Amino acid sequence: MLRFSRALLLGALFGSAPLLAQDYRIETFSEGLEHPWAMAFLPDGRMLVTERVGRLRIVEADGSLDPEPVAGVPEAFIAAQAGLMEVALDPDYTDNRWLYLSYAHGSLEANNTRLARARLVDDELHDFEVLFTAQPLKAGAAHYGGRIAFLADKTLVLTLGDGFDWREEAQNPANHLGKIVRLNRDGSVPQDNPLIGQEGAAPEIYSLGHRNVQGIFFDAEHNRLYSHEHGPRGGDELNLIEAGNNYGWPLATFGIDYTGARISPYTELPGLSAPLLHWTPSVAPSSLTLYRGELFPNWRGDLFAATLAERSVRRIRVLDGMLAGEEVLFEELEERIRDVRSGPDGALYLLTDSAEGRVLRVVPSE
Amino acid sequence: MSSKPRLLLAFILAVLLASLLASIFQTQTNLAALQALGAPMPMDVRLGTTCLDLLGFAPTFALLSTLGFIFALPLAAWCARRMPTLRWAIFLLAGAIAIWCALALANTLAPMPTLIAADRSSLGTLGLMLCGSVGALLFGLLGQRAGRPASSTSSDSL
Repeated sequence: MLRFSRALLLGALFGSAPLLAQDYRIETFSEGLEHPWAMAFLPDGRMLVTERVGRLRIVEADGSLDPEPVAGVPEAFIAAQAGLMEVALDPDYTDNRWLYLSYAHGSLEANNTRLARARLVDDELHDFEVLFTAQPLKAGAAHYGGRIAFLADKTLVLTLGDGFDWREEAQNPANHLGKIVRLNRDGSVPQDNPLIGQEGAAPEIYSLGHRNVQGIFFDAEHNRLYSHEHGPRGGDELNLIEAGNNYGWPLATFGIDYTGARISPYTELPGLSAPLLHWTPSVAPSSLTLYRGELFPNWRGDLFAATLAERSVRRIRVLDGMLAGEEVLFEELEERIRDVRSGPDGALYLLTDSAEGRVLRVVPSE
Repeated sequence: MSSKPRLLLAFILAVLLASLLASIFQTQTNLAALQALGAPMPMDVRLGTTCLDLLGFAPTFALLSTLGFIFALPLAAWCARRMPTLRWAIFLLAGAIAIWCALALANTLAPMPTLIAADRSSLGTLGLMLCGSVGALLFGLLGQRAGRPASSTSSDSL
Protein backbone atom coordinates (compact mmCIF):
# COMPACT_ATOMS: atom_id res chain seq x y z
CA MET A 1 0.00 0.00 0.00
CA LEU A 2 2.83 2.32 0.96
CA ARG A 3 4.65 1.52 -2.26
CA PHE A 4 1.52 2.15 -4.33
CA SER A 5 1.02 5.48 -2.60
CA ARG A 6 4.63 6.38 -3.25
CA ALA A 7 4.25 5.61 -6.94
CA LEU A 8 1.16 7.82 -7.13
CA LEU A 9 2.92 10.59 -5.26
CA LEU A 10 5.94 10.43 -7.52
CA GLY A 11 3.71 10.54 -10.54
CA ALA A 12 1.92 13.59 -9.26
CA LEU A 13 5.20 15.24 -8.36
CA PHE A 14 6.78 14.81 -11.73
CA GLY A 15 3.80 15.64 -13.84
CA SER A 16 3.12 12.34 -15.52
CA ALA A 17 0.78 9.63 -14.37
CA PRO A 18 2.49 6.41 -13.40
CA LEU A 19 1.69 3.42 -15.51
CA LEU A 20 -0.86 1.31 -13.78
CA ALA A 21 -1.21 -2.40 -14.26
CA GLN A 22 -3.80 -2.02 -16.98
CA ASP A 23 -1.51 0.19 -19.10
CA TYR A 24 0.68 -2.72 -20.10
CA ARG A 25 0.30 -6.38 -20.84
CA ILE A 26 2.91 -9.02 -20.07
CA GLU A 27 3.15 -11.90 -22.53
CA THR A 28 5.18 -15.06 -22.21
CA PHE A 29 7.38 -14.83 -25.28
CA SER A 30 9.41 -17.99 -24.65
CA GLU A 31 9.79 -20.55 -21.90
CA GLY A 32 11.64 -23.70 -20.91
CA LEU A 33 14.87 -21.94 -19.94
CA GLU A 34 16.93 -23.03 -16.94
CA HIS A 35 17.99 -20.00 -14.94
CA PRO A 36 18.34 -17.68 -17.93
CA TRP A 37 20.84 -14.89 -17.24
CA ALA A 38 21.11 -12.61 -20.26
CA MET A 39 19.59 -12.00 -23.68
CA ALA A 40 20.76 -10.34 -26.87
CA PHE A 41 18.72 -9.51 -29.97
CA LEU A 42 20.11 -10.78 -33.27
CA PRO A 43 19.61 -8.65 -36.38
CA ASP A 44 17.50 -11.39 -37.99
CA GLY A 45 14.80 -11.11 -35.32
CA ARG A 46 15.98 -14.03 -33.23
CA MET A 47 17.34 -13.79 -29.73
CA LEU A 48 20.27 -15.34 -27.88
CA VAL A 49 19.71 -16.31 -24.25
CA THR A 50 22.32 -17.62 -21.83
CA GLU A 51 21.38 -20.11 -19.16
CA ARG A 52 23.52 -19.93 -16.04
CA VAL A 53 23.89 -23.71 -16.13
CA GLY A 54 26.17 -23.27 -19.14
CA ARG A 55 24.02 -23.24 -22.26
CA LEU A 56 23.52 -20.62 -24.95
CA ARG A 57 20.07 -20.89 -26.50
CA ILE A 58 18.41 -19.44 -29.58
CA VAL A 59 14.87 -18.13 -29.36
CA GLU A 60 13.25 -17.87 -32.78
CA ALA A 61 11.47 -14.72 -33.89
CA ASP A 62 8.12 -16.31 -33.01
CA GLY A 63 9.32 -17.09 -29.47
CA SER A 64 9.87 -20.81 -29.95
CA LEU A 65 12.98 -22.14 -28.26
CA ASP A 66 15.48 -24.00 -30.41
CA PRO A 67 15.78 -27.36 -28.64
CA GLU A 68 19.49 -27.61 -29.45
CA PRO A 69 21.80 -25.32 -27.50
CA VAL A 70 24.40 -23.43 -29.52
CA ALA A 71 27.49 -25.60 -29.97
CA GLY A 72 30.98 -24.43 -29.05
CA VAL A 73 30.14 -22.65 -25.83
CA PRO A 74 33.07 -22.79 -23.38
CA GLU A 75 32.70 -24.90 -20.27
CA ALA A 76 31.86 -22.69 -17.32
CA PHE A 77 32.39 -23.31 -13.63
CA ILE A 78 28.83 -23.82 -12.40
CA ALA A 79 27.90 -23.53 -8.73
CA ALA A 80 25.72 -21.17 -6.68
CA GLN A 81 26.12 -17.78 -8.45
CA ALA A 82 28.74 -19.10 -10.87
CA GLY A 83 28.06 -20.16 -14.44
CA LEU A 84 27.51 -18.75 -17.89
CA MET A 85 26.44 -15.14 -17.57
CA GLU A 86 26.36 -12.38 -20.19
CA VAL A 87 25.97 -12.50 -23.96
CA ALA A 88 26.53 -9.31 -25.94
CA LEU A 89 26.79 -8.65 -29.65
CA ASP A 90 29.70 -6.70 -31.10
CA PRO A 91 28.72 -3.15 -32.13
CA ASP A 92 29.69 -4.24 -35.67
CA TYR A 93 28.06 -7.64 -35.40
CA THR A 94 26.45 -7.57 -38.82
CA ASP A 95 29.92 -7.28 -40.34
CA ASN A 96 32.03 -9.47 -38.05
CA ARG A 97 29.61 -11.87 -36.25
CA TRP A 98 31.52 -11.56 -32.98
CA LEU A 99 29.62 -12.13 -29.79
CA TYR A 100 30.99 -11.82 -26.29
CA LEU A 101 30.36 -14.13 -23.37
CA SER A 102 31.18 -13.77 -19.70
CA TYR A 103 31.31 -16.79 -17.43
CA ALA A 104 32.85 -18.12 -14.25
CA HIS A 105 36.01 -20.01 -15.03
CA GLY A 106 37.96 -22.43 -12.83
CA SER A 107 37.05 -24.62 -9.89
CA LEU A 108 35.45 -24.12 -6.49
CA GLU A 109 38.92 -23.59 -5.03
CA ALA A 110 40.20 -21.18 -7.71
CA ASN A 111 37.89 -19.27 -10.05
CA ASN A 112 36.94 -15.85 -11.32
CA THR A 113 35.12 -14.11 -14.16
CA ARG A 114 36.31 -14.73 -17.71
CA LEU A 115 35.49 -12.87 -20.92
CA ALA A 116 35.61 -14.60 -24.28
CA ARG A 117 34.38 -13.98 -27.80
CA ALA A 118 33.46 -16.16 -30.75
CA ARG A 119 31.74 -15.81 -34.10
CA LEU A 120 28.22 -17.12 -34.48
CA VAL A 121 28.15 -19.00 -37.77
CA ASP A 122 25.33 -21.40 -38.69
CA ASP A 123 24.20 -21.36 -35.06
CA GLU A 124 27.59 -22.58 -33.84
CA LEU A 125 30.42 -20.70 -32.18
CA HIS A 126 33.65 -20.50 -34.15
CA ASP A 127 36.99 -18.72 -33.73
CA PHE A 128 36.67 -18.86 -29.94
CA GLU A 129 39.09 -16.57 -28.09
CA VAL A 130 39.59 -15.97 -24.38
CA LEU A 131 40.01 -12.23 -23.98
CA PHE A 132 40.37 -11.69 -20.25
CA THR A 133 40.33 -13.58 -16.95
CA ALA A 134 39.92 -11.57 -13.77
CA GLN A 135 42.78 -12.01 -11.30
CA PRO A 136 43.40 -13.35 -8.79
CA LEU A 137 41.51 -16.60 -8.90
CA LYS A 138 39.69 -17.07 -5.60
CA ALA A 139 37.65 -19.72 -3.81
CA GLY A 140 33.87 -19.83 -3.44
CA ALA A 141 31.08 -19.18 -5.91
CA ALA A 142 29.84 -15.66 -5.23
CA HIS A 143 30.04 -12.15 -6.72
CA TYR A 144 31.18 -12.34 -10.33
CA GLY A 145 29.63 -9.21 -11.83
CA GLY A 146 29.64 -10.32 -15.46
CA ARG A 147 27.71 -7.61 -17.34
CA ILE A 148 29.09 -6.02 -20.53
CA ALA A 149 28.53 -2.66 -22.20
CA PHE A 150 30.16 -0.98 -25.17
CA LEU A 151 31.30 2.63 -24.96
CA ALA A 152 31.17 5.25 -27.71
CA ASP A 153 34.63 4.27 -28.98
CA LYS A 154 33.51 0.61 -29.21
CA THR A 155 35.74 -0.46 -26.33
CA LEU A 156 33.92 -2.71 -23.89
CA VAL A 157 33.49 -2.49 -20.16
CA LEU A 158 33.07 -5.65 -18.11
CA THR A 159 31.74 -5.58 -14.57
CA LEU A 160 33.30 -7.74 -11.87
CA GLY A 161 32.67 -8.65 -8.25
CA ASP A 162 34.65 -8.87 -5.05
CA GLY A 163 34.17 -12.63 -4.56
CA PHE A 164 32.36 -11.83 -1.28
CA ASP A 165 35.24 -12.77 1.04
CA TRP A 166 37.65 -10.28 -0.50
CA ARG A 167 35.77 -7.03 -0.09
CA GLU A 168 38.82 -5.01 0.98
CA GLU A 169 40.46 -5.98 -2.33
CA ALA A 170 37.92 -3.78 -4.11
CA GLN A 171 40.19 -0.91 -2.99
CA ASN A 172 43.37 -2.59 -4.23
CA PRO A 173 44.26 -1.30 -7.70
CA ALA A 174 46.67 -4.20 -8.21
CA ASN A 175 43.93 -6.72 -8.98
CA HIS A 176 40.50 -7.04 -10.61
CA LEU A 177 38.36 -7.90 -7.56
CA GLY A 178 35.54 -5.39 -7.20
CA LYS A 179 36.39 -3.47 -10.36
CA ILE A 180 34.95 -2.49 -13.70
CA VAL A 181 37.50 -3.11 -16.45
CA ARG A 182 37.73 -1.63 -19.94
CA LEU A 183 39.17 -3.55 -22.84
CA ASN A 184 39.50 -3.31 -26.58
CA ARG A 185 37.30 -5.83 -28.33
CA ASP A 186 40.30 -8.07 -29.01
CA GLY A 187 41.09 -8.17 -25.29
CA SER A 188 44.01 -5.73 -25.41
CA VAL A 189 44.16 -2.82 -23.00
CA PRO A 190 43.19 0.63 -24.29
CA GLN A 191 46.12 2.97 -23.82
CA ASP A 192 43.90 5.70 -22.38
CA ASN A 193 42.64 3.60 -19.47
CA PRO A 194 42.74 5.69 -16.28
CA LEU A 195 45.35 3.70 -14.33
CA ILE A 196 47.71 3.08 -17.24
CA GLY A 197 51.18 4.01 -16.11
CA GLN A 198 50.34 3.87 -12.42
CA GLU A 199 52.91 1.56 -10.87
CA GLY A 200 51.45 -1.67 -9.57
CA ALA A 201 47.96 -0.99 -10.90
CA ALA A 202 46.11 -3.41 -13.15
CA PRO A 203 45.93 -1.55 -16.48
CA GLU A 204 42.47 -2.91 -17.33
CA ILE A 205 40.80 -1.07 -14.43
CA TYR A 206 38.22 1.53 -15.40
CA SER A 207 36.73 2.10 -11.94
CA LEU A 208 37.15 0.54 -8.52
CA GLY A 209 35.47 0.15 -5.15
CA HIS A 210 32.59 -2.05 -6.28
CA ARG A 211 30.93 -5.02 -4.61
CA ASN A 212 29.06 -7.01 -7.25
CA VAL A 213 28.09 -5.07 -10.35
CA GLN A 214 25.34 -6.83 -12.26
CA GLY A 215 23.99 -3.97 -14.29
CA ILE A 216 25.69 -1.59 -16.71
CA PHE A 217 24.37 0.55 -19.52
CA PHE A 218 26.04 3.11 -21.74
CA ASP A 219 23.69 5.93 -22.69
CA ALA A 220 25.27 6.94 -25.98
CA GLU A 221 22.92 9.89 -26.44
CA HIS A 222 24.16 11.58 -23.28
CA ASN A 223 27.57 9.87 -23.07
CA ARG A 224 26.81 8.48 -19.61
CA LEU A 225 27.75 5.11 -18.21
CA TYR A 226 25.37 3.91 -15.53
CA SER A 227 25.84 0.84 -13.38
CA HIS A 228 24.22 -0.71 -10.37
CA GLU A 229 25.62 -3.10 -7.82
CA HIS A 230 24.40 -5.35 -5.07
CA GLY A 231 24.94 -4.10 -1.55
CA PRO A 232 24.90 -6.51 1.38
CA ARG A 233 21.84 -5.95 3.62
CA GLY A 234 20.83 -2.61 2.15
CA GLY A 235 23.12 -0.34 0.20
CA ASP A 236 22.38 -1.48 -3.34
CA GLU A 237 23.65 1.36 -5.49
CA LEU A 238 23.02 3.07 -8.81
CA ASN A 239 26.22 4.79 -9.92
CA LEU A 240 27.32 7.08 -12.70
CA ILE A 241 30.62 5.55 -13.74
CA GLU A 242 33.50 7.81 -14.63
CA ALA A 243 36.98 6.66 -15.58
CA GLY A 244 39.30 6.22 -12.63
CA ASN A 245 36.73 6.93 -9.94
CA ASN A 246 36.52 4.99 -6.70
CA TYR A 247 32.97 4.04 -5.71
CA GLY A 248 33.82 3.34 -2.11
CA TRP A 249 33.14 -0.29 -1.31
CA PRO A 250 33.74 -1.28 1.47
CA LEU A 251 34.94 2.04 2.97
CA ALA A 252 31.59 3.73 2.51
CA THR A 253 28.27 1.95 2.17
CA PHE A 254 24.65 2.23 3.21
CA GLY A 255 24.49 -1.52 3.78
CA ILE A 256 25.37 -3.74 6.70
CA ASP A 257 26.60 -7.31 6.71
CA TYR A 258 24.15 -10.24 6.60
CA THR A 259 25.17 -11.03 10.18
CA GLY A 260 24.10 -7.57 11.32
CA ALA A 261 27.72 -6.39 11.64
CA ARG A 262 28.69 -2.99 10.30
CA ILE A 263 30.64 -3.06 7.06
CA SER A 264 31.78 0.51 7.60
CA PRO A 265 30.83 3.37 9.90
CA TYR A 266 30.78 5.65 6.85
CA THR A 267 28.26 6.23 4.09
CA GLU A 268 30.56 8.75 2.42
CA LEU A 269 34.18 9.78 2.58
CA PRO A 270 36.23 12.38 0.71
CA GLY A 271 37.60 11.07 -2.57
CA LEU A 272 34.93 8.41 -2.97
CA SER A 273 32.12 8.78 -5.50
CA ALA A 274 28.67 8.69 -3.93
CA PRO A 275 25.88 6.71 -5.58
CA LEU A 276 23.17 8.47 -7.55
CA LEU A 277 20.75 6.56 -5.37
CA HIS A 278 20.83 3.62 -3.02
CA TRP A 279 18.25 1.00 -2.27
CA THR A 280 17.90 0.19 1.42
CA PRO A 281 16.50 -2.34 2.13
CA SER A 282 18.04 -4.22 -0.74
CA VAL A 283 16.17 -4.92 -3.96
CA ALA A 284 19.07 -6.98 -5.43
CA PRO A 285 19.47 -5.25 -8.82
CA SER A 286 20.42 -7.73 -11.53
CA SER A 287 20.32 -5.88 -14.84
CA LEU A 288 20.12 -2.34 -16.15
CA THR A 289 18.85 -0.86 -19.38
CA LEU A 290 17.58 2.40 -20.76
CA TYR A 291 14.32 2.35 -22.67
CA ARG A 292 14.44 3.91 -26.14
CA GLY A 293 11.44 2.18 -27.71
CA GLU A 294 8.34 3.67 -29.29
CA LEU A 295 5.65 1.58 -27.60
CA PHE A 296 5.80 3.37 -24.26
CA PRO A 297 6.44 7.08 -24.93
CA ASN A 298 6.35 7.90 -21.20
CA TRP A 299 9.16 5.50 -20.55
CA ARG A 300 11.57 6.85 -23.16
CA GLY A 301 14.92 7.83 -21.70
CA ASP A 302 14.21 6.18 -18.34
CA LEU A 303 16.42 3.57 -16.72
CA PHE A 304 15.01 0.16 -15.87
CA ALA A 305 16.64 -2.01 -13.21
CA ALA A 306 15.57 -5.63 -12.84
CA THR A 307 15.53 -6.93 -9.28
CA LEU A 308 15.80 -10.37 -7.74
CA ALA A 309 14.87 -9.83 -4.09
CA GLU A 310 12.09 -7.32 -4.71
CA ARG A 311 10.85 -9.39 -7.70
CA SER A 312 10.21 -6.32 -9.75
CA VAL A 313 11.61 -3.91 -12.28
CA ARG A 314 12.42 -0.45 -11.03
CA ARG A 315 11.71 2.33 -13.49
CA ILE A 316 14.05 5.19 -12.66
CA ARG A 317 12.89 8.39 -14.25
CA VAL A 318 15.58 10.51 -15.85
CA LEU A 319 14.79 14.12 -16.67
CA ASP A 320 17.49 16.35 -18.14
CA GLY A 321 20.15 14.00 -16.86
CA MET A 322 18.78 14.05 -13.30
CA LEU A 323 17.03 11.21 -11.53
CA ALA A 324 13.41 12.12 -10.96
CA GLY A 325 11.81 9.40 -8.90
CA GLU A 326 11.14 5.70 -9.18
CA GLU A 327 8.26 3.42 -9.95
CA VAL A 328 8.10 -0.25 -9.01
CA LEU A 329 6.77 -2.35 -11.90
CA PHE A 330 5.75 -5.95 -12.53
CA GLU A 331 5.55 -7.01 -8.88
CA GLU A 332 2.38 -8.86 -9.81
CA LEU A 333 4.58 -11.47 -11.53
CA GLU A 334 6.08 -12.46 -8.17
CA GLU A 335 9.17 -13.60 -10.08
CA ARG A 336 12.85 -12.88 -9.65
CA ILE A 337 13.79 -10.82 -12.72
CA ARG A 338 17.30 -11.53 -13.99
CA ASP A 339 17.48 -9.37 -17.09
CA VAL A 340 15.65 -6.43 -18.63
CA ARG A 341 16.22 -5.16 -22.17
CA SER A 342 14.66 -2.67 -24.48
CA GLY A 343 13.73 -4.74 -27.53
CA PRO A 344 14.14 -3.65 -31.16
CA ASP A 345 10.34 -3.82 -31.54
CA GLY A 346 9.82 -1.27 -28.78
CA ALA A 347 8.70 -3.84 -26.22
CA LEU A 348 10.44 -4.32 -22.90
CA TYR A 349 11.81 -7.84 -22.47
CA LEU A 350 12.37 -9.60 -19.16
CA LEU A 351 14.02 -12.84 -18.09
CA THR A 352 12.67 -14.61 -15.04
CA ASP A 353 15.21 -16.34 -12.85
CA SER A 354 14.05 -19.85 -12.08
CA ALA A 355 14.58 -23.45 -13.09
CA GLU A 356 11.65 -22.87 -15.45
CA GLY A 357 12.66 -19.44 -16.62
CA ARG A 358 10.78 -17.44 -19.21
CA VAL A 359 11.29 -14.60 -21.63
CA LEU A 360 8.53 -12.09 -21.02
CA ARG A 361 7.48 -9.33 -23.38
CA VAL A 362 5.88 -6.18 -22.02
CA VAL A 363 3.66 -4.33 -24.51
CA PRO A 364 0.94 -1.68 -24.21
CA SER A 365 -2.38 -3.16 -23.17
CA GLU A 366 -4.16 -1.69 -26.19
CA MET B 1 18.38 -22.17 43.76
CA SER B 2 18.75 -25.78 42.69
CA SER B 3 21.59 -26.75 40.38
CA LYS B 4 19.58 -27.02 37.13
CA PRO B 5 18.42 -23.37 36.99
CA ARG B 6 21.92 -22.35 38.03
CA LEU B 7 23.39 -24.39 35.21
CA LEU B 8 20.94 -22.84 32.80
CA LEU B 9 21.95 -19.40 34.05
CA ALA B 10 25.61 -20.38 33.67
CA PHE B 11 24.92 -21.48 30.10
CA ILE B 12 23.16 -18.22 29.25
CA LEU B 13 25.94 -16.16 30.77
CA ALA B 14 28.53 -18.20 28.87
CA VAL B 15 26.72 -17.49 25.60
CA LEU B 16 26.39 -13.81 26.45
CA LEU B 17 30.04 -13.44 27.37
CA ALA B 18 31.24 -15.26 24.27
CA SER B 19 28.95 -13.15 22.08
CA LEU B 20 29.98 -9.89 23.72
CA LEU B 21 33.66 -10.66 23.24
CA ALA B 22 33.16 -11.96 19.70
CA SER B 23 31.22 -8.85 18.74
CA ILE B 24 33.95 -6.56 20.06
CA PHE B 25 36.55 -8.68 18.28
CA GLN B 26 34.58 -8.60 14.99
CA THR B 27 34.24 -4.81 15.18
CA GLN B 28 37.87 -4.14 15.93
CA THR B 29 39.05 -6.56 13.24
CA ASN B 30 36.83 -4.89 10.67
CA LEU B 31 37.77 -1.35 11.68
CA ALA B 32 41.45 -2.26 11.55
CA ALA B 33 40.96 -3.44 7.94
CA LEU B 34 39.21 -0.17 7.03
CA GLN B 35 41.90 1.84 8.77
CA ALA B 36 44.53 -0.01 6.75
CA LEU B 37 42.69 1.19 3.63
CA GLY B 38 42.98 4.77 4.84
CA ALA B 39 39.67 5.36 6.62
CA PRO B 40 39.88 7.70 9.61
CA MET B 41 38.96 5.95 12.86
CA PRO B 42 38.57 8.40 15.75
CA MET B 43 37.55 6.99 19.13
CA ASP B 44 33.92 8.15 18.92
CA VAL B 45 33.48 6.34 15.59
CA ARG B 46 35.14 3.23 17.01
CA LEU B 47 32.95 3.24 20.11
CA GLY B 48 29.78 3.97 18.18
CA THR B 49 30.45 1.14 15.74
CA THR B 50 31.27 -1.23 18.58
CA CYS B 51 27.92 -0.42 20.23
CA LEU B 52 26.02 -0.84 16.96
CA ASP B 53 27.63 -4.25 16.45
CA LEU B 54 26.67 -5.28 19.97
CA LEU B 55 23.08 -4.60 18.96
CA GLY B 56 23.33 -5.94 15.41
CA PHE B 57 25.96 -8.66 15.34
CA ALA B 58 26.10 -10.07 18.89
CA PRO B 59 22.63 -11.69 18.58
CA THR B 60 23.79 -13.56 15.46
CA PHE B 61 26.85 -14.81 17.26
CA ALA B 62 24.72 -15.71 20.29
CA LEU B 63 22.69 -18.03 18.06
CA LEU B 64 25.83 -19.65 16.70
CA SER B 65 27.48 -20.04 20.09
CA THR B 66 24.26 -21.46 21.57
CA LEU B 67 24.27 -24.04 18.81
CA GLY B 68 27.87 -24.97 19.54
CA PHE B 69 27.68 -24.79 23.32
CA ILE B 70 24.56 -26.89 23.60
CA PHE B 71 26.59 -29.90 22.55
CA ALA B 72 30.05 -28.91 23.72
CA LEU B 73 29.45 -27.73 27.27
CA PRO B 74 27.55 -30.77 28.63
CA LEU B 75 30.17 -32.97 26.99
CA ALA B 76 32.95 -30.87 28.53
CA ALA B 77 31.28 -31.12 31.95
CA TRP B 78 31.07 -34.90 31.60
CA CYS B 79 34.75 -35.12 30.63
CA ALA B 80 35.77 -32.72 33.41
CA ARG B 81 34.14 -34.94 36.01
CA ARG B 82 36.24 -37.84 34.82
CA MET B 83 39.47 -35.86 34.38
CA PRO B 84 39.35 -33.19 37.11
CA THR B 85 42.99 -32.25 36.69
CA LEU B 86 42.31 -31.25 33.08
CA ARG B 87 39.10 -29.38 33.92
CA TRP B 88 40.07 -25.91 32.62
CA ALA B 89 41.85 -27.24 29.58
CA ILE B 90 38.75 -29.24 28.69
CA PHE B 91 36.44 -26.22 28.92
CA LEU B 92 38.90 -24.04 27.04
CA LEU B 93 39.10 -26.57 24.25
CA ALA B 94 35.38 -27.29 24.23
CA GLY B 95 34.51 -23.61 23.82
CA ALA B 96 36.96 -23.20 20.96
CA ILE B 97 35.83 -26.33 19.15
CA ALA B 98 32.17 -25.42 19.66
CA ILE B 99 32.68 -22.09 17.89
CA TRP B 100 34.78 -23.66 15.15
CA CYS B 101 32.05 -26.24 14.47
CA ALA B 102 29.30 -23.60 14.52
CA LEU B 103 31.25 -21.42 12.07
CA ALA B 104 31.98 -24.37 9.80
CA LEU B 105 28.31 -25.36 9.80
CA ALA B 106 27.22 -21.78 9.07
CA ASN B 107 29.70 -21.51 6.19
CA THR B 108 28.46 -24.78 4.76
CA LEU B 109 24.81 -23.80 4.91
CA ALA B 110 25.10 -20.11 4.01
CA PRO B 111 25.27 -19.13 0.33
CA MET B 112 28.38 -17.02 0.82
CA PRO B 113 31.86 -18.51 1.30
CA THR B 114 32.27 -17.11 4.82
CA LEU B 115 29.36 -15.83 6.90
CA ILE B 116 31.24 -13.84 9.54
CA ALA B 117 33.78 -11.33 8.28
CA ALA B 118 36.28 -11.93 11.09
CA ASP B 119 36.24 -15.63 10.20
CA ARG B 120 37.81 -14.93 6.79
CA SER B 121 41.35 -15.22 8.14
CA SER B 122 42.94 -17.92 10.31
CA LEU B 123 43.82 -15.34 12.92
CA GLY B 124 40.23 -14.10 12.95
CA THR B 125 38.87 -17.62 13.31
CA LEU B 126 41.25 -18.23 16.21
CA GLY B 127 40.10 -15.01 17.83
CA LEU B 128 36.45 -16.03 17.63
CA MET B 129 37.33 -19.49 18.97
CA LEU B 130 39.10 -17.86 21.89
CA CYS B 131 35.93 -15.90 22.66
CA GLY B 132 34.14 -19.24 22.79
CA SER B 133 36.82 -20.56 25.15
CA VAL B 134 36.29 -17.67 27.56
CA GLY B 135 32.54 -18.30 27.52
CA ALA B 136 33.08 -22.00 28.17
CA LEU B 137 35.48 -21.28 31.03
CA LEU B 138 32.84 -19.08 32.62
CA PHE B 139 30.39 -21.96 32.34
CA GLY B 140 32.95 -24.27 33.92
CA LEU B 141 33.45 -21.84 36.80
CA LEU B 142 29.77 -21.13 37.45
CA GLY B 143 28.82 -24.75 36.90
CA GLN B 144 31.32 -25.81 39.53
CA ARG B 145 29.74 -23.43 42.01
CA ALA B 146 26.26 -24.58 41.05
CA GLY B 147 27.19 -28.13 41.93
CA ARG B 148 28.97 -27.32 45.18
CA PRO B 149 26.30 -26.26 47.74
CA ALA B 150 24.13 -28.59 49.80
CA SER B 151 24.63 -31.52 47.52
CA SER B 152 26.83 -34.10 48.98
CA THR B 153 27.57 -36.18 45.95
CA SER B 154 30.25 -35.22 43.51
CA SER B 155 28.07 -36.36 40.63
CA ASP B 156 25.94 -33.19 41.01
CA SER B 157 28.88 -30.98 40.31
CA LEU B 158 30.40 -30.17 36.98
